Amino acid sequence: MEIFQGLLYGFQVVLQPTNLLYGFIGVFIGTLVGVLPGLGPPAAIALLLPSTFSVPPVSAIIMLAGIYYGAMYGGSTTSILLNVPGEAASVVTCMDGHAMACQGRAGPALGISAFGSFIAGTLGVIVLTFLAPSLAKVALSFGPPEYFSLMVLGLTILTYFARESMVKALMMAVVGLLCGSVGVDSISGRYRFTLGVPVLMDGLGLVPVIMGLFGISEVLLNLERKGEKQEIFAPPTKGLFPNREDWRLSTLPILRGTVLGFFLGVLPGAGTIIASFASYAVEKRVSKYPERFGTGVIEGVAAPESANNAAATGAFIPLLTLGIPANAVMAILLGALMIHGLQPGPLLLKQAPDVFWGIIASMYIGNVMLLVLNLPLIPIWARLLRVPYAILFPFILLFCLIGSYSINNSVGDGIVMWIFGVLGYLMKKFDYEGAPLVLAMVIGPMMEEAMRQSLILSAGSATIFFTRPISAGFILTAALLFVLPLLTRRKGVEKAWESVPEESE
Amino acid sequence: MSKDLISSLLGLAVAAFFSIEGFISLKLGTLSQPGPGFFPFLGGVALGLLSLIQILKSLKKKDSLSLSGLKSSKFLLATGATLAYLLLLEKIGFVTITFLFLFLLLRLEYKGWLVSAASALVGAVSSYALFSLWLKTQLPAGPFGF
Repeated sequence: MEIFQGLLYGFQVVLQPTNLLYGFIGVFIGTLVGVLPGLGPPAAIALLLPSTFSVPPVSAIIMLAGIYYGAMYGGSTTSILLNVPGEAASVVTCMDGHAMACQGRAGPALGISAFGSFIAGTLGVIVLTFLAPSLAKVALSFGPPEYFSLMVLGLTILTYFARESMVKALMMAVVGLLCGSVGVDSISGRYRFTLGVPVLMDGLGLVPVIMGLFGISEVLLNLERKGEKQEIFAPPTKGLFPNREDWRLSTLPILRGTVLGFFLGVLPGAGTIIASFASYAVEKRVSKYPERFGTGVIEGVAAPESANNAAATGAFIPLLTLGIPANAVMAILLGALMIHGLQPGPLLLKQAPDVFWGIIASMYIGNVMLLVLNLPLIPIWARLLRVPYAILFPFILLFCLIGSYSINNSVGDGIVMWIFGVLGYLMKKFDYEGAPLVLAMVIGPMMEEAMRQSLILSAGSATIFFTRPISAGFILTAALLFVLPLLTRRKGVEKAWESVPEESE
Repeated sequence: MSKDLISSLLGLAVAAFFSIEGFISLKLGTLSQPGPGFFPFLGGVALGLLSLIQILKSLKKKDSLSLSGLKSSKFLLATGATLAYLLLLEKIGFVTITFLFLFLLLRLEYKGWLVSAASALVGAVSSYALFSLWLKTQLPAGPFGF
């Protein structure tokens, strides 16, 4: 019953007019970000984070979360109408979605992806509602050794799901941990690795790093690509509703996509991209006519669009219950919670029930808003797509510049952003990924503190990580994930990434 | 030299910096009382080992690095303009630098002088209105007061 009381409280919080407004702004901007190619959710959320410093934490988080799952809705629109994924998790939708549009069935394709997203998002939130509080209770019994081992496991899973080699992903994760140690050491109070630069005294800022790695570098990479003109399909204004046959074909794919997506969303690093591709592969396997996939079958739209929304919801579980982010977006939300003086993790439920239940309840409302918002606004979104990138990119850069300046009203953070922008560009050229770096940078300080506290606790014996059963379980699983690829290679992961085009991340 | 070799040599350099700095100037402390250099030192060592593995792996593989994009004028212009924006922002003020920045980049791939100048002006003024007047972001003013 606790859960229903909590949820009811959450709705009371969310239904306050200001919070409703912030939720609406969030999902609206999210859809916009999803529609526009070249600006992904991590960069967009990082961009808007400074503007939420002055609003109450609940409102801020509701808005920022809305951007994330809103982008999942928006991304499908460009995939279907333009064959250009506005967002990486919608890449797979291009295949059958665009084929459907070519056959004059853009309406049902857009409709089923909106409804599928809605169903998956809502089902995901229901599971989240029931799972999160009990998981948070379990996590309350964790001490520093358990936390340290859990974070080791988290980083291992993250690198296990990496596109490139595990070694490279691990290198990035360690670089992230090292970046996280820049600034004041929380235990001794000493400055570390600041190189005498004032802006580094507070540590490397998460917002400029993410805007650099995911915003600036993305623009630089896009500039190199040939700007080919794409044919835009006139957006359908009616006939958006899938017919009965469409529904009959889509119901099971939506449900399968939801389950798979949610599960993959919870795991660090797997996220929405793998979820959408995996669910597409599953549908192709169980289908009676796999050869027709890619020619415009509605299952090929319904399943991945549901999966990416379910994954976006699932990703909130580790954040809300353990305080560990599963992807770059969750890393920023974690940063946002901490900026507002909240400690994400098992204590969040006790310390700030309004935030905990507010986020969950806002997702119910947000999904309804998105359904209502998305279908009638499709013509407007399609219009926006006609804006050429040559006009768009100077403004994306400008917004990043203003965003970085507004954090501390100084150009220091802007310089950090610029450096990480160029670094992100080079990383892409050298086949490294940015996500492990960002995640590790966020959990680095927590991991270090947990490690040092554990060692103090055990009077200097590293066996503490292996003698406590829960901690030992985490470490053992992590070790298994290291050994496994040596024996069998990561076949499933490699296969899933194979079909994802290079430039889509 | 293959690109994996170059990147792992860089990794090795970063590893050396963090582990040496952690070991010498920050102090490791003891196992029961770990100091501020303890965790960065371990991280540096781990990165060093990973870089060595990557170096060994890269020796088997042959690929040549293509950084043609780096030389392209678009890349240089965009990174250069962004850096210049940051360096000049507090000197000549938000509106002026934003106008110049947008004008330069719009000219890069888009229409003639007049259209670019007009769009840059509209962009600069409306972003000033949006961020400074409406969202109350403190943006630096130039010698002309805006």
